[in-house]
Amino acid sequence: MTDRRRINGPPSGTRPAVFASSLKSTSGAVIERPRRHRQPNELRKIFLKTGLIPSASGSAYLEYEPSASLAAARSSPKSLIPPSSALKLACTVHGPKPLPRSATFSPNLVLTTHVKYAPFAARQRKGHIRDASERDLGVHLETALRGVIVAERWPKSGLDITITILEAEDDRWWGDAPDSHDAPWGMMNVLAGCITAASAAIADARIDCLDLVAGGVAAIVSDDEVTEEGKRTPKLMLDTDPAEHKSILSACVVAYMPARDEITEIWLKGDHSKASLGVDDSSLNHEALIDGAVNAARGAHTVLVEAVRESAERYAGLT
Amino acid sequence: MVAPSATLSTLNRADGSASYQCPSTGSNILGSVNAPVELPGRRDALKPEDATIEVFVKPGTAPAGVGERYVEGIIKTLLGRVILGREKGYPRRGVVITLAVIGGESVGRGDPYLVLLPALLHTALLALLSASVPLSMTFSATVLAVDASGQIRREPSAEDAATAQSVHVLAFSSKGHLLLNESQGSFDFDTWEKVRQRASAICHGTQLVSADGDVAMVEDVDGRPLEGTLRETVEDQVYRDYNWKINAA
Amino acid sequence: MASPAPPAPPPALTLPPSQFARLQPHAYLLAHLSPPASSNQLSIRANGRAPSQFRPTSANTGSLTHTNGSAVVRVGDTTAVCGVRAELLPTTDIASWSVSHASASSSSSSSSSSPAAPKSNSSSNSADAEESQIQDLNLLVPNLSLSTGCAPGFVPGAPPSALAQSLSYQILALLHSTRLVRAEDLRVWYEGPSFTGEEGGRMDVDVDVDAEGERDENSAATKKEIKAFWVLYIDIMIVSLAGNPFDAAWAAVLAALRDTKLPRAWWDVDNEMVVCSDVVSEARKLTLRGLPVASSFCVFEADAAAGWRAVIVPDADEEREIEDTAKRGMLRRWILADPDGYEEGLSQERVCLVVDKEVVGGEGKTVIVKMEKNGGWAVDSRELKQLLDVAAARWESLKQILEQC
Repeated sequence: MTDRRRINGPPSGTRPAVFASSLKSTSGAVIERPRRHRQPNELRKIFLKTGLIPSASGSAYLEYEPSASLAAARSSPKSLIPPSSALKLACTVHGPKPLPRSATFSPNLVLTTHVKYAPFAARQRKGHIRDASERDLGVHLETALRGVIVAERWPKSGLDITITILEAEDDRWWGDAPDSHDAPWGMMNVLAGCITAASAAIADARIDCLDLVAGGVAAIVSDDEVTEEGKRTPKLMLDTDPAEHKSILSACVVAYMPARDEITEIWLKGDHSKASLGVDDSSLNHEALIDGAVNAARGAHTVLVEAVRESAERYAGLT
Repeated sequence: MVAPSATLSTLNRADGSASYQCPSTGSNILGSVNAPVELPGRRDALKPEDATIEVFVKPGTAPAGVGERYVEGIIKTLLGRVILGREKGYPRRGVVITLAVIGGESVGRGDPYLVLLPALLHTALLALLSASVPLSMTFSATVLAVDASGQIRREPSAEDAATAQSVHVLAFSSKGHLLLNESQGSFDFDTWEKVRQRASAICHGTQLVSADGDVAMVEDVDGRPLEGTLRETVEDQVYRDYNWKINAA
Repeated sequence: MASPAPPAPPPALTLPPSQFARLQPHAYLLAHLSPPASSNQLSIRANGRAPSQFRPTSANTGSLTHTNGSAVVRVGDTTAVCGVRAELLPTTDIASWSVSHASASSSSSSSSSSPAAPKSNSSSNSADAEESQIQDLNLLVPNLSLSTGCAPGFVPGAPPSALAQSLSYQILALLHSTRLVRAEDLRVWYEGPSFTGEEGGRMDVDVDVDAEGERDENSAATKKEIKAFWVLYIDIMIVSLAGNPFDAAWAAVLAALRDTKLPRAWWDVDNEMVVCSDVVSEARKLTLRGLPVASSFCVFEADAAAGWRAVIVPDADEEREIEDTAKRGMLRRWILADPDGYEEGLSQERVCLVVDKEVVGGEGKTVIVKMEKNGGWAVDSRELKQLLDVAAARWESLKQILEQC
């Protein structure tokens, strides 16, 4: 299928490079899965800055701190295959602006969210046209934000929120074979980042909100450590990097407003029964998982507050 | 050098049209102009005090792609300064120009569109004249290729252009301004100056300023200046159109 | 405030500059560019720059994990992110790949004697007879995206606008016409086992120039064939747009290609596929031809109303005279380098120059790679010559920026 509005590659298509080291793991050193060096409740540092895109009403740029393995690979590169990746995204807000002539009357602000991966964002090249997962992210983001914005203040207006993901999180470690446990775990981290960045951009655009909403992720993971009974002990971890874990049993992302203690969006995925099997305590049920995600969101909120304060100071300085 | 041949008002339904045959590149271009027309559904995009110009280029064999968008942009920008879009009846209306490439060599992906550009421009101009769209001036354009030895070749074929060191398209207004320059390939400024002179000679003829200050238009190796050819085409058409009146007089 | 002012003057309509700029953009910029003659000031643009001054530029490379090469270039408030991804195109997938094609390219030594040798490019840039493979096989795939929310007016999710398509095409055309990327860098060779048996079936053929020369000497019978090509997907996201997207996008492409590393690749006979090595020290950087740098300009005209009913446009010669007399008095038009979005909206005529410099006998010689002007008649050869000097100065400064990152 050729796209007449873009420049197309060879008509027969191309194949991603296949690395010899991933073909035969027997010879040479076995490449190790990156390890989590953080405590279970320790979050990655978030870099969040507002106002980098002046032509937009509001904007924010968010970047996660590279994990220890990625940072090591950056400083002294050995392999061309990156061990993991760190989220990088830019968010712009345009509006409030009049709705197009063709739109029907709306007494509220009409929110439009749009999430797009750059073609080079993920390990697999992404297409130029939004795929299902990108649309899915857009819908989740819209739900998360709709409960925050005071929409009745802008009748007949529209607000466009566009997020460009320059680098996404991995769904699993690249060395792992795809298996039944597979789920787009990376997408959940991306969504949490999108929520936090969009929140900052909306505040930067001076749209009235109930609170600063922040996104957080927690997951129940079962790693290689095996107990005496031959069972793996699942653990609750905050802000999981899917590349660092052999198997993620379930994960949860929330959009959380700390001041009101409300959740506007919750997305829970995975199989809890496995986690609770053989573990009697209630520390691993879904409520614990949600609490973990909320705690992660609280952490992101502190960064968000700083970024918004910076934006407010810049605004006050201008006027 | 065989002069290009052109016919005006070849299409019955369009406000203005022209068919243009460029012998050196073998391209045949059919252009139509509809102006002024209402452009419904785009009231927000229309400029309140100016006409909106739209250009569509249709290649002969393949559907239009990014290359056509690029050429459309060039033609649109050029015509934007030539068409008097603020004349009565034009603001908030559209001037729609459609140029179809018929026959000739097709332009591949990423190939320079430059060899076809003068023909497209001439067709657009003739079609605009045929539709009596008010213009501030007319223009003529040519394409030149410079090969590795510094030889300037007029109106190269697509293969010649591909092997040339640099390819230049220049358009001059009827008043001698340089309206458009598109140069690709590697060259230095002195080469370009030579190219400009040659192009100017092709479009307007060489101006020989004699000692007493007289300016004489002469024909040289490039044959008749292009501008004259275009002018004659239009004059012929006008003569045919008003034949009844002239003969009656 | 007890001044003997006339009683009750009508309240003066005063506007803060930012509102004046929005209401009367043309008059605002004109007032900035033509200060009163008495003040003895130089004309300065509304954004505080001198007419031929570019915006501060910064570049950063290699920050994106999943790319072979990447760059972020900021030119003022315009930001372009470029990522280069390399994928393989096996020759078996190319429908028109014929035996003659494969054998013809095996003799790489013939390239030096190709007719294009007397090019102005230095000997290291000697033309490759099969250089057109890049173009014929679509090995470079640049695409520029503006639907990133970079500016209001670009609908996210919509197909690329005419501007985005035109910019993508311009980048592709420039990549082809400058022949920036060498076809040789993109080839994956395979040398048949007939020549060297000791290494077994798997034999890697790198494109080391010396080694290749030796091999060619040793055996003319060596069966060398191209097994695959690297295809470079060059994707440019304009994250923030504040005028002059082309310069920023091209600088980002250039920086990203300079950063691009291709892994060592060879034909694996057992698996019948091309396999790469992930060892960083074996990866090769692209060897680019030159460093073409783009500089864009726009022409701001004092009499915007001239467009209204300018039925009488002065002849080119008259224009010259007017221009010369204007030198002493008021200027009528200004050529502004690296226009921002505000200035772009106020001008019709654009100039784009892409220049490179090559050292000939210790002296830098400016080579024009692309020269475009359109949309007006203010710029002719005299102005272009001046702009060429500005573009050459820009080349120097951008070269420094790119070499530091």
